[in-house]
Amino acid sequence: MTKSTPAGMGAPVRLEKVTKRFGPVVAVNDVSLEIPGQKMVTLLGPSGCGKTTTLRIIAGLETVSSGRLFIGDQDVTHQPASQRPITMVFQSYALFPHLNVFENVAYGLRNLRVPPADIRKAVGEALALVGLAGLETRAPSQLSGGQQQRVALARALVMRPKVLLLDEPLSNLDAKLRKQVRHELRSLQQQLGITSIYVTHDQSEALALSDVIVVMKDGVIQQIGPPEELYQRPANAFVAKFIGDANLLEAEVRGGQVWVGNYRVPEPPGHLIDGRRLLMVRPEAIVMEPAGPAETAGPSGAAQPAGAAGAPGAGSAAGDASTPAEGGLPGRVVDAFYQGMSAEYMVETAAGDLMVLDTNLAGPMLPPGTPVRLRFSPRGMYVLPGEAGAQAVAAAS
Amino acid sequence: MSVRPVAQLSEYGAAAQGRAGSAFWWGLIILAGGLLLPWSRQGVNVLAYDAARTGLRLAFEAWPIAAALALAGVLVVLGRPAFPTRAAGRAMLAVSAAGAAVTIGHLLTRNEPFGLGAVVVFLGFLSVAGMSLSYGGLLRVEPFAGAAILWLAAFIAVFILYPLWAMLVTSVWVRDRFTLDVFRQTLRSPTFFLFENPWTELSERRLALWVGLASGLVALAWQVVLHRTELGQNWRRIALWTVTGAASGYCLSALYTGFGALRNSVLLALSVGLVSTALGLSFALLAQRSRFPIRSLMGPISTLSMITPPFVLGLSMIYMFGRQGFITNQILGLSTNAFYGPLGVGVAQVLAFTPLAYLVLTGVVRSLDPAMEEAAQTLRASRWRLFHTVTWPLLRPGVANAFLLCVIESLADFGNPLILGGGVPFLPTEVFFAIEGRFNQNEAAVYGVILLFMTVGVFALQHYWIGRASYVTVTGKPTGGNPSPLPGVLEYPMTAAFVLWTLLGFMLYASVFFGSFVKLWGFNNTFTLEHYEALRTSGIGVFLDTARLAAIASVPSALVGFLLAYVVGRLRFPGRSLLEFTSMLSFAVPGTVMGIGYVLAFNSGALRLTGTELIIVLAFVFRNMPVGIRSGLAALQQIDRSLEEASTTLRASNVTTLRRILFPLLVPAVISGLMFSFVRAMTAISQVIFLVTPSTNLATVLILSWVGHGSIGRGAALSCVLIAAMAVVVLVLNVVLHRTGRRAGPAATL
Ligand SMILES: Nc1ncnc2c1ncn2[C@@H]1O[C@H](COP(=O)(O)OP(=O)(O)O)[C@@H](O)[C@H]1O
Ligand SMILES: [Mg+2]
Repeated sequence: MTKSTPAGMGAPVRLEKVTKRFGPVVAVNDVSLEIPGQKMVTLLGPSGCGKTTTLRIIAGLETVSSGRLFIGDQDVTHQPASQRPITMVFQSYALFPHLNVFENVAYGLRNLRVPPADIRKAVGEALALVGLAGLETRAPSQLSGGQQQRVALARALVMRPKVLLLDEPLSNLDAKLRKQVRHELRSLQQQLGITSIYVTHDQSEALALSDVIVVMKDGVIQQIGPPEELYQRPANAFVAKFIGDANLLEAEVRGGQVWVGNYRVPEPPGHLIDGRRLLMVRPEAIVMEPAGPAETAGPSGAAQPAGAAGAPGAGSAAGDASTPAEGGLPGRVVDAFYQGMSAEYMVETAAGDLMVLDTNLAGPMLPPGTPVRLRFSPRGMYVLPGEAGAQAVAAAS
Repeated sequence: MSVRPVAQLSEYGAAAQGRAGSAFWWGLIILAGGLLLPWSRQGVNVLAYDAARTGLRLAFEAWPIAAALALAGVLVVLGRPAFPTRAAGRAMLAVSAAGAAVTIGHLLTRNEPFGLGAVVVFLGFLSVAGMSLSYGGLLRVEPFAGAAILWLAAFIAVFILYPLWAMLVTSVWVRDRFTLDVFRQTLRSPTFFLFENPWTELSERRLALWVGLASGLVALAWQVVLHRTELGQNWRRIALWTVTGAASGYCLSALYTGFGALRNSVLLALSVGLVSTALGLSFALLAQRSRFPIRSLMGPISTLSMITPPFVLGLSMIYMFGRQGFITNQILGLSTNAFYGPLGVGVAQVLAFTPLAYLVLTGVVRSLDPAMEEAAQTLRASRWRLFHTVTWPLLRPGVANAFLLCVIESLADFGNPLILGGGVPFLPTEVFFAIEGRFNQNEAAVYGVILLFMTVGVFALQHYWIGRASYVTVTGKPTGGNPSPLPGVLEYPMTAAFVLWTLLGFMLYASVFFGSFVKLWGFNNTFTLEHYEALRTSGIGVFLDTARLAAIASVPSALVGFLLAYVVGRLRFPGRSLLEFTSMLSFAVPGTVMGIGYVLAFNSGALRLTGTELIIVLAFVFRNMPVGIRSGLAALQQIDRSLEEASTTLRASNVTTLRRILFPLLVPAVISGLMFSFVRAMTAISQVIFLVTPSTNLATVLILSWVGHGSIGRGAALSCVLIAAMAVVVLVLNVVLHRTGRRAGPAATL
């Protein structure tokens, strides 16, 4: 077992200003990206954003329209796919239907003219690695979906590639299995130390698996960072909305203080530059309590046009005693959904409709129509860079 | 999960190094072939060995041979490394191009038919040139693919384009002079087309003008009513329709009142196309939606029609409807010639081509999703509206495709007009009579050019309307839901048509069968085996020869077809669409045209092939190649591309992928491709009838000539043998296919 420390052969991958056009469609637009060696990097984005194309460019299955690609320190831009030190796990697994499990896994080694004895040993080890020892003579059609997925993985791993590419490898599995394989994949990758590039549109998968996540949209990289950073400090409205759920509010930053309507938000992190900003609030970071009967004026206030309440004069904040600046944002429950370990509410406020996730579930659910008061907690808030505007909000949806 | 690293890959990589490159081996092959095999030949045996013409003897007299061998030597040196550099690749390209040029130059100046050695040398240089295109970075494909592309391009150029070119040249090049006289004479001759016929009072020209005017007005009125709300936007469309209406009115009237081969062939093709398509569509609808087991009947019927030489139906038409015909004479007591001429030819062609239309349309009909009809019905669409707005638009491309296919087939059919034409001229037979009867190659070429332009025109129309869908076989997957039954108004007449058609076909086949066992049909109906006895002396030998040539040809036609399908369907390179278009074009070239082209192209000089068996094999190969491409493309579509990509990322070259992944998965398709090629070669007539000689006769040609000379019984006997043998082949191969299919079946659905 002394040999079982990571082989440490994963090479970094670097894309320099890579662009790929399909006729008029720009599938990948001027992407520059450094993928560190031996890490698990996820390309995340909505369907059609160019993730698969990026992956296929790295594999050599697509040519670039412009730009350069390095694996390790070697320029492989024009190297054919069959000569790159890369293997790929396909979404459809792409197991060869006429070859049995053993021959499927041995296929790549045979192409390299590895001696038969070594092939037998290597295939046996690779199959043991993915927990399929003993199934060598089965045809792919005689395997379950999960087993097929593992054969595809073994077939890729047995080549000891410098980079392993995975294109939505779990999307054909059912939800339970997906979670299990996800963990196995992660531990395998960490133990083997292979640079892995993983494509998915499922943000929870990306959060659970990755060392680094690359968020893409319309062929353009939106943000690169570790999962926590993306969740806590999204670079823009799109990332905020795409990773987890997010409420985006227009806020006013004045002298380091952040105001949403008449509510002074308690010290959010982020870009506290004076002006109108976009404030992200995670649903679980909103504390909601029923408003007292004296405050029933709140909901009617919510009916005012957002613009009137959203740009408070300094005088009105101080002058109106019934809505103290620290007292929270008044609102009214519009919809309530029970979810077992939590409850999700839609709350109508002067700053727009907000999603609130109540994880305490202390009392009974609040019925629609209940007037409430919302308070934001700093750990789930972030003031996004850039000016707030209709475009920023639209871009997020 | 415990992790033990598998042996390091980097250790293995080296194994692939250290082998000699392919160019090295090709260089050796060129040297061996060029030195030991004859560069030219005297007789008709292409494989003959002739020691006096080998490179060993000639290298000192003929400098091009010495040069070619020297260049091959250079290739052996340059081709040593397994992965040549870019510069080495370009150098090899120059060397091999020079070698190929020298070889061709030598053949052309020597003016003796080529020999095996020259073929080996030329193809060797061609292969190295193709690989070097890739080594030199000029073509972004693998070396193997580069060579394959050049091979295919060369084959298509020599065996499809060059014969057509030779025909075009002959049509305008008489006694070393450019002239349009032959065209002028032919187009003006009454055999071709007679507009104003002298024995009617009426002026046909004026009539045609009036009809054209009237139909133009009708089209205009119809379009104006159709677009009455927004006339302004649709003026282009309205004008187009008006002009089209007037033109087709004029043409139809001219054709209908006129005389001659053009008129007969076009009217025949249009009516056969219409009727066959209508019948094919009806049968396809019945097969899917009838209560009667029509689908299970249509399978064997289409197979039977596939293995029958098309003119056998013509032969049996004589038995049933001829002067001594069973129905016309025995039952109705007539002695009529009515079925000699367009009517008889038309009936025979409809019987022969309806299964074709059915095969095209059944896929389309089956791919109509019943759920779609149900959806339309839930949206309160009436039956008619459903048909008009949903079903018909989906059927239309298929129907157009079937129609055009039948039109082309009818224009190209040669045997039926010959047997049943009764002296009435048709375009394909005129080609034949011009060259075999009037010995006028130029006139034959003119007819060929006209026929070619017509069918290529139809093909271009089809390409323009239907695009790629025209040759991609539709493999509709029936989805859930039950197709709604046909309304009775449609079902009963359709079923009646089917029963009639089947009965007629059955009768015709039966008549050939019985006809082969009676002394002389209609006159002396006593049982005899004399026709079969007679086959022993002349028929069987020719039949076996035909089978041998067809079998030889089936392998290259399937291979070339599949390779083309792969190259065109899976590789990206400049010139791909040109290659695709030319190979698809050969769908549209009638066999008769190809036949005259081959006669003119391979008649003399270095490429002289007349009288060889090779020319017949080549004719088979390039006639049947489209079938191979078609089935290859269809089969490739069934294979998920990610299988090939997975293979590539696992370090497989294109050749390895082709050999270890695609080929095993394509085996059933390859087997059926082989079978189709073989069967088509056995039943072909229109091209090879120009190419046979007494020493290389073919079964179909023999039958046709017997029938022409009145030995109908013997012709029927050989037809029966042919059909029976084909049936056995098809059955056996179907069993084989079924076996392999079962093994590959469930896995292939992955
Ligand atoms: N072979 C192709 N031809 C044309 N367009 C393509 C091709 N492959 C992908 N595209 C287009 O490129 C864009 C990105 O596709 P893809 O990389 O597959 O997205 P993703 O994997 O993120 O869903 C899409 O708009 C898609 O339509
Ligand atoms: Mg994708």
